[in-house]
Amino acid sequence: MPPFNPTAARVERELKHGKPLVGCRFDPSGRFLFASAQDDTVQRFDLVTGAKTAFVGHRCWARGLAFVAPKPAHAAKAVPPKPVGEPFAAVGLGGFVEPAKIEPFTLITADYHGNLTWWPGGAATPKPTRTVAAHDGWARAVAVSPDGLTVASCGNDHTVKLWKAADGSAIRTLEGHESHVYNVAFHPAGGRLVSCDLKGVVKDWDWKTGKCERDIDAKVLAKYDTGFMADIGGARGMAFQSDGSAVAVCGITNVTNAFAGVGNPVVVVIDWKDGKGKVLKPKAAFQGTAWGVAFHPSGAVIAAGGGSGGRVWFWNPDDPASTHTITVPTHCRDFALSPTGDRFAVAGANGTAYVYDFTGTGATAPPPPKK
Amino acid sequence: MLGHTRSFAAVTILSLSGLAPAADPFPARIDRHIAAGVPDFKRKAAPLATDEEFLRRAYLDLAGTTPTVAELHEFSNDLAKDRRAKLIDKLLAAPGYARRMAWHFDVMLMERRPDAKVPRAAWETYLHSAFEKNTPYDAFVRDLLSNDGGDPKTRAAAKFLLDRDLEPHLVTKDIGRVFLGRNMQCAQCHDHPAVDTYKQAEYYGIQAFLNRSFLFPNAKAATAVIAEKAEGDVTFTSVFDKNKLTHTTTPRLPGGKPLVEPKAEKGKEYTVAPAKDVKPVPTFSRRARLAAAVTGPENPAFARNIVNRMWAMLMGRGLVHPLDWDHVDNPASHPALLDELTAEFVKHKYDLKWLVRELALTDTYQRSSEMPAGLDDAGEDRYLVAILKPLTPEQFAYATMQATGLTDAERAALGVKGTPAQLDARLAARLAPFRKILGGKAGEADDDFSATLDQTLFLKYGTAVRGMLPPRGGNLTARLGAISNPDAVADELFAAVLTRRPTADERADVGDTLKAASDRQSALNELVWALVASAEFRFNH
Amino acid sequence: MRSLPTPPVSRRAFLGATAALGLGGFANPAAAAELKKSQKRVLVIFLSGGVSQLETWDPKPNTDTGGPFKAIPTSVAGTHISELLPHTAKQAHRLAIVRGLNSGSDDHGIGQKIMLTGRKMEPGIDYPHIGAVAAKLLASDQSALPGHIQILPKGGSGFTGGDATFLGPRFASVSLGDGKPPADILRPTGLPADADAAREAFRQKLNARFAKSRKSAATEAYSESYTQAERVVRQAAVFDVSKEDPRVAERYGRHDFGRHLLLARRLLEAGVTYVKVSHSNYDTHHENFDFHIEQLGEFDRPFAALLDDLSDRGMLDSTLVVVMSEMGRTPRINDRYGRDHWSKAWSVCLAGAGIKGGVVVGKTNATGTAVTDGQVSSGHLFHTYLRAVGLDSTKNFYPDARPVPVADPKAAAIPEVLA
Repeated sequence: MPPFNPTAARVERELKHGKPLVGCRFDPSGRFLFASAQDDTVQRFDLVTGAKTAFVGHRCWARGLAFVAPKPAHAAKAVPPKPVGEPFAAVGLGGFVEPAKIEPFTLITADYHGNLTWWPGGAATPKPTRTVAAHDGWARAVAVSPDGLTVASCGNDHTVKLWKAADGSAIRTLEGHESHVYNVAFHPAGGRLVSCDLKGVVKDWDWKTGKCERDIDAKVLAKYDTGFMADIGGARGMAFQSDGSAVAVCGITNVTNAFAGVGNPVVVVIDWKDGKGKVLKPKAAFQGTAWGVAFHPSGAVIAAGGGSGGRVWFWNPDDPASTHTITVPTHCRDFALSPTGDRFAVAGANGTAYVYDFTGTGATAPPPPKK
Repeated sequence: MLGHTRSFAAVTILSLSGLAPAADPFPARIDRHIAAGVPDFKRKAAPLATDEEFLRRAYLDLAGTTPTVAELHEFSNDLAKDRRAKLIDKLLAAPGYARRMAWHFDVMLMERRPDAKVPRAAWETYLHSAFEKNTPYDAFVRDLLSNDGGDPKTRAAAKFLLDRDLEPHLVTKDIGRVFLGRNMQCAQCHDHPAVDTYKQAEYYGIQAFLNRSFLFPNAKAATAVIAEKAEGDVTFTSVFDKNKLTHTTTPRLPGGKPLVEPKAEKGKEYTVAPAKDVKPVPTFSRRARLAAAVTGPENPAFARNIVNRMWAMLMGRGLVHPLDWDHVDNPASHPALLDELTAEFVKHKYDLKWLVRELALTDTYQRSSEMPAGLDDAGEDRYLVAILKPLTPEQFAYATMQATGLTDAERAALGVKGTPAQLDARLAARLAPFRKILGGKAGEADDDFSATLDQTLFLKYGTAVRGMLPPRGGNLTARLGAISNPDAVADELFAAVLTRRPTADERADVGDTLKAASDRQSALNELVWALVASAEFRFNH
Repeated sequence: MRSLPTPPVSRRAFLGATAALGLGGFANPAAAAELKKSQKRVLVIFLSGGVSQLETWDPKPNTDTGGPFKAIPTSVAGTHISELLPHTAKQAHRLAIVRGLNSGSDDHGIGQKIMLTGRKMEPGIDYPHIGAVAAKLLASDQSALPGHIQILPKGGSGFTGGDATFLGPRFASVSLGDGKPPADILRPTGLPADADAAREAFRQKLNARFAKSRKSAATEAYSESYTQAERVVRQAAVFDVSKEDPRVAERYGRHDFGRHLLLARRLLEAGVTYVKVSHSNYDTHHENFDFHIEQLGEFDRPFAALLDDLSDRGMLDSTLVVVMSEMGRTPRINDRYGRDHWSKAWSVCLAGAGIKGGVVVGKTNATGTAVTDGQVSSGHLFHTYLRAVGLDSTKNFYPDARPVPVADPKAAAIPEVLA
């Protein structure tokens, strides 16, 4: 694999939706970027055809987005990179393959009325196929197990819940968190599930038995603001490294004024074996929150956030300070990495999702990681 | 006889000061003005206070604390005819005078505002030094109004302006109130509806001295200094004016001449031109002329106001009352007296110690506060009887420390090598809770007495006072604990706390209390408390 | 926050003036006597920082400005409030919701003053807060307890001194930080009761002797203050919320605001005329929705419990309850999920004495950016409070012999919310 060069990142396309965005995810094929918005819709942007399709049916914001992928044999071909400078061309012109037939996949959304909704992800006129009243209060995040059979959700009722992907039936409720549960993710090996709450408590569950195997401390993410007498915290983003050796959570730290957002973005990379967290911070001072994080296939960690502006930060896995920063024209409220890692997207408060690829000229490759 | 003695003393002192001895000493002239204010004054007026009453009053007013038992006995045993004048001079020469005046002027100038840009310690040192040196008051105020805070060694002098953030309406109003005796706040928006002579133009005339000044680099910086631009004019419209005409004015004090401002040559408006991060210095500074204008001979309100305030400090009420309400429709209670005091003060070059001394020597000051029979409705402003003055928080704290003998215990603890400054540092360290609970509201003139629930609980059960009661190294309750005779206990107790002898009834009550007590030492402690909590202690009478 | 200075009125002079006016400060003694019979009280719940009207009383779900929360039905058909107030929703039949408030300032300090004095800021005069006015006009002379108490979320106890302005320090608020009793209210352990009584007797004897020959309003006030303090001390248990029935305490909740509201009820029941309980904090410029979940979660249950408790004790008809803030929050949601200050169109909630339950008065437009019907100011609300407790809000105070209307003469009570 060529060395990863974050400085080559550049805006590939701007996906405009008039209303502020709250979440974004690529579908398993990488062809679509889904972005949820403050107008209670989820928008599907087809990166091949340019089509924009609205998923209408939520009665509130739906930040949680997860997918049940189609069987591998039927997976759509990956979206080829777009040559620099060329507008996104129509089907069939110079060098582009015909858009592959979309294999059916399922989108599952989690919304702030506590519902999980199943949608036909690739349909031309999508309508909900199922709604499950999953949580009391916000359902903050949703995840699908690697084998596609199980759905996990978490929410303000302090619970993590498990559901059958096929029919939405409840499997089990995991109790133990003592505050809003912000995020949930399955370990790539499948048997374990990680959740993180407002107070920065990370729980590692054997979800099949319902036992919490351990608590991991990510309290650097949480603060009780004594001035305003309120709690701020939680993992705003959560992602596993593809080999399961680490899980990253991100949010805000060093908070001195929760109600003005005075604090700094932070990523905590938790080593799966020993449960110890390593703190990653932006190199240049920045006031705000990290809202989404992912591991790049190269091992680099990428996060995006906002506060005093919008940013994307890149870390080499061994450096606690970021090696590259991109200024985004809007506060980034979510971050998504495409399945192959060849592009990423941020959900903008200004109503636009920015998709970046790595085909820019960029600076020279970053120095090799320190020993 | 007393009159003869007093004029002898007055003549002596006038000779020392180098002025031609007047045939008629000033304190006597002051008393004549007061007497002229009521027909049949001599018959109606209360007699002079007893020696004990005078002693306590003079100590509180001139030293900020009460006398020790030894000082009480010394004064009581002094048979000299001029013992009161001698005491006054002794107190004026002692370190307590500067301390007491520093407290008074701190409250007058800063009104218990929290520290903003000048820390308390530096300010208190500055005030203390001014009163130790007896800096003439006009020079003192010139310093306050002209210092820009730029020199760390003298920065404290700028506290009056700096700690008000140089907020234009606040400083305008407070310059009027504190230095001119006029609360012109209403005139911010229109000519004062009730006071003919407080005009909106006059309000803005004061503000115009400062409108070009600003805090550099910004109002939030703790080390901000006062900078000034070379341009800018005040404008104002009256909220009563239907046509909303806009007016302007050059800098000018009420009743004064407008400031003559040289027309600036283009390009030469600044000696240091404004630039990013650069403090500008205008060629002509309006603010530099404020100090001279306020304290100059063409502003008679300045001397009149401070004289009135010093009168109020000693007598319990201003000749003009309230202190910042001097105008044609609120005349002084004794206009000719105020005029004469003002003229003499100016003649004596704004010497505050001289003024305090002259006032303290008067019968008016030394009059008893005990209401004579049949004089129920004597107006305070007639001075037929001395006015009860509540102790300021500082006086109360120091008097309590003195009364309970904490001062003695601290002095003993410091040993022979201890200096007065070290002793005072220990006492001053205990001021904070008294100031906090008994002090007036920040930003308001500390001129009214209140007895709120939290203050009473502070005195009743709070540790600041109770902590001074248990016996310790020579303090009062330790001394009392060693006295077996109850009458002797009563004598020492009353002498220490109330600066007088107990009556027969009071001796009996003390005896009864001690007899009934299961724990004699505790009973002694609480007797001290009862005297400290009494109205007699709380007030300067 | 710098307050405006008071006019040149000497409080000492004013003591004289009020004495001349007699009970309640009104020139009409008959009115004052009437009042004494029915002993009304006032409870203000102050949601500090500026509570979002869109997350409480005037939700606009599924609009650009509405945010993610639902509007839920209440015990009043047709009336909906935010899903963050489920318990309060069941009390709606007791509430009068005023949705058309336009208060005139987006500043915390000024807004608070406007809301508590019922007046816009005026140079040259500082108006007294509703607590001081209530303490002055409603308090019984028999009550030993201070008439104006405020319970703050934290800090020590003390005396702010300023909020009664020309009414005098007697009606200024006594502050109880974190609901703790006034500082030094409990007799120290080193001072047994008999020793305390003995020293009190001695002190009184000294004062009696002194007063024979020297008296002033100040010395009288000082001597009397100990007697008054003693009466408060004897009722020190009133300030101890742990003395409440645990089942009642449970309904209010064990958290700070619950305890503070319970203490407020306790004080009102003991005869305190006015209690204000502040709940901190609602100034959510950042992550407005998360923080309103947390803060309203603390408010909702105790508030509902309080209304039930007042009703159970027969106190609801004689206690005016007001839920207010210093301003509302912007309909526009900023980049960081926050709402900023907003005084143009927001809400206040009333209940209890003199208030018609189950009404909503005033309307805002679809997105909450303007009042479309029934616009009122804090002046209208102030008149309403006074009328609700049976006072004539068109009367005057007479500080220093000059008339000052008790409430803004340009406004009047809101008739739709009065019973």
